[in-house]
Amino acid sequence: MFKMSEYSFIAGVISVGLALGCYVIAFVAARVMRQRTALAGVGTGGGTIGVDRRGGVNLGAYGTLLVYLALAFLTASLVFRTIATGHGPFANMYEFSIAFAWGTLAMYAYFERRYHERALGLVALPIALALLLYAMTIPATIDPLVPALQNNLLLSVHVAVAVVAYGTFSVAFAAAILYLVRGEDGRRGLPSRELLDEISYKAVVIGFPFLTLTIVLGAVWAEVAWGTYWSWDPKETASLVTWLIYGSYLHARVVRGWRGERAASLLLLGFAATLFTYFGNLFFGGLHSYSGLNNQ
Amino acid sequence: MTQTVRTQAIPRADRGPTDDLDAGRTVSPADIRERLWHFFISMRTGLALMLGLAVLGLIGTLLVQAPEGLKSDPQAYPAWLESLRPRYGGWTGVLDALGLFSIFSSIWFRGIVMLLTTSVLACSVNRAPHLWKQAVHPRTNMSETFFAHAPLSASIAAPTHPDAALAEIQAAFRARHFRTIVKGDGDTIHLYADRFRWGPFGTVIAHLSLIFILAGALIGTAWGFRNTGLAVPVGSRVDVGYGTGLSIEAKSFTDSYYPNGSPSDFTSDLVLYRDGAQIDAATIRVNQPLRAGDVTVYQSFYGAAAAMKVADPTGTVVFERGVPLEWTSSDGKHRVGQIILPDVGLTAYVIGAASGEVDPQIKPGQMGIEVYTSGSEGSPIATGVISQGQPAKIAGLDFTFVRERQFTGLIVARDPGAVFVWIGASLLVFGISLVFFFPSRRAWALIRRRPGGSSIQVGAVVRHDVSFEADFKRLVDELKLALTGPSAI
Ligand code: HEM
Repeated sequence: MFKMSEYSFIAGVISVGLALGCYVIAFVAARVMRQRTALAGVGTGGGTIGVDRRGGVNLGAYGTLLVYLALAFLTASLVFRTIATGHGPFANMYEFSIAFAWGTLAMYAYFERRYHERALGLVALPIALALLLYAMTIPATIDPLVPALQNNLLLSVHVAVAVVAYGTFSVAFAAAILYLVRGEDGRRGLPSRELLDEISYKAVVIGFPFLTLTIVLGAVWAEVAWGTYWSWDPKETASLVTWLIYGSYLHARVVRGWRGERAASLLLLGFAATLFTYFGNLFFGGLHSYSGLNNQ
Repeated sequence: MTQTVRTQAIPRADRGPTDDLDAGRTVSPADIRERLWHFFISMRTGLALMLGLAVLGLIGTLLVQAPEGLKSDPQAYPAWLESLRPRYGGWTGVLDALGLFSIFSSIWFRGIVMLLTTSVLACSVNRAPHLWKQAVHPRTNMSETFFAHAPLSASIAAPTHPDAALAEIQAAFRARHFRTIVKGDGDTIHLYADRFRWGPFGTVIAHLSLIFILAGALIGTAWGFRNTGLAVPVGSRVDVGYGTGLSIEAKSFTDSYYPNGSPSDFTSDLVLYRDGAQIDAATIRVNQPLRAGDVTVYQSFYGAAAAMKVADPTGTVVFERGVPLEWTSSDGKHRVGQIILPDVGLTAYVIGAASGEVDPQIKPGQMGIEVYTSGSEGSPIATGVISQGQPAKIAGLDFTFVRERQFTGLIVARDPGAVFVWIGASLLVFGISLVFFFPSRRAWALIRRRPGGSSIQVGAVVRHDVSFEADFKRLVDELKLALTGPSAI
């Protein structure tokens, strides 16, 4: 099982890398050809390579296929690992990085299906790839669970919910980056600003309830394990900071003047906070110091 | 209008000298109330407070925070601050004066939380009547102008009677699970359709849930307690205190390990007494506390203990219990426990070698004893080293080190506010899910009789909602097909 998990993981990494390659080439080709159809994006007209549109290779579509393939491999990897370890992917940074990458890919795939904007992948896939490459630097050994982590169901749900939230924030971040990169004029063949703005918003609309639930479940676990629902542990606090930033983003959109670039900047800030919360284990210490990278 | 005038009448410091003060204008209480209200319902205020709280939180994760309760310890706190000096240098004092080492009980933090709560309350009070009206008494009749300016709108000229058109439109909305309200008659019919009209109340629920959470936190602080370091030696009974009348006896403690040496399980067999009578008994472990009424007992840590017996010169036993060696000496080589003997006004320290340390003075099977006059500092009035099972006279008392034991370290807590926190947390998740997963949608139609049929206008106001836009377009297409297509007469 352990080996199967490892192989699926590697296959997943390769698939993400190839998918990203397809997207980049398709995007660059599209720019070179300066095709701007109504849905000017990587996917539709832009994905075609070669002079003859019909006879060309639609690299964008292959990219999407590879994303699905990568998702399948990573799912398999996580399932095999869960069987091998007997618990969800929450015990160390290796497991959680794969889960985070999985969430990013899954949410990206969902939003690509819904909005048909492969340009998002130009940012979302590198995030997933970076997480996976980071996971590769961590020993994948299976260590037994310390007593505090032996609350399988609660922790598995806590992490599963967090993974969805983090995944949507990756997508919101991707759309915000494109929004800012694209600029007013939109010369670069990217989706319209309105659409990017909406994608960000819709992503946070999914992510925010999930982040809220993550924090609440974390509080339940803390109450059961440490006798208090809140102890201002750095990781808890960082997740609260993240929550406040995304909460601000949602409210900011109600104020007219905050639409657009300012809202997009809040999303960058929010994603920075997400990563800070996520990687916090490595330097916070505190009750969440289960990174598996120190002697714990 | 009057309001604008008043606003300008209030002098601002940066405007330099003004005549307004001399003019004898004053700020009336009603004026202040008005301004405060506008301050608190302003989204700018809300954003500033939320982001301000985020900044404090960030500081709290980046700066070392003083452990719970340390600040009130006049000796330990300065020592703790001193230990930070290598890290923060000259800033240590400044950061401390600003309260940044206990930021979550600082005036900044409390102030922002109070302001934010007020703001959230004000926003809800401000907004709720409007939401109520929208849900219960929605505006059903929209004018021509509305349809002309609505972000989503369409007009259809149909060769059908208005009643037939209405039936068609109603059917289309109902198929989408919209509720429809019809006003008017024969010649002019107004139709209003909505879905998930209670969704927006999710915001009110989410806002009010914060009040529950805050109230829970305050109640917990005011009427709860949390002792994170109750050490109970195996075979001994220890009072919980805090007016609970509870005492806890540890029957046994077991620590288990995986082959690689990392811990796998810690369990304690506990018996709980209230006013001397047993009320509960359970095996607790990490993640599996003992709940007895409103008090909860958690497994937290463990360590070595010494079962000790002390007798006075008449032979009367004045102390017989396990002494948890809870503290580590500053050189890290010894574990130290305390015996308080109130009858004779003495305090004795029991000192054992820390695990893995070899001390030529205190050998395995031995304990060092230092006796002090209670309440005084300085040097001990007597010291000695005793061997297991061999009584020795120190400071006129007979000390016996009966045997080595373990102690189990418990957290004992009572939090009467927790229930409010859980209610608030559930409402928060529920409210937020309601807003986002059940987005409220509203649409209007105006059907008028025209020679040879009817004119139909459909419109909706949307806020960033591509899926509703798409659905609206499909609905219009359906209607066009049904009303003007070949089959419609
Ligand atoms: C941490 C505190 C807060 C939480 C958890 C919270 C929660 C929410 C949520 C989930 C929404 C729905 C957002 C959307 O539809 O996009 C919302 C909307 C709103 N919030 Fe808050 N909020 C908070 C603080 C505030 C504050 C301080 C104010 C006032 C300054 C405020 C005023 C509003 C308003 C006016 C709306 C829009 C209501 C509507 O459209 O009917 N909120 N809030």
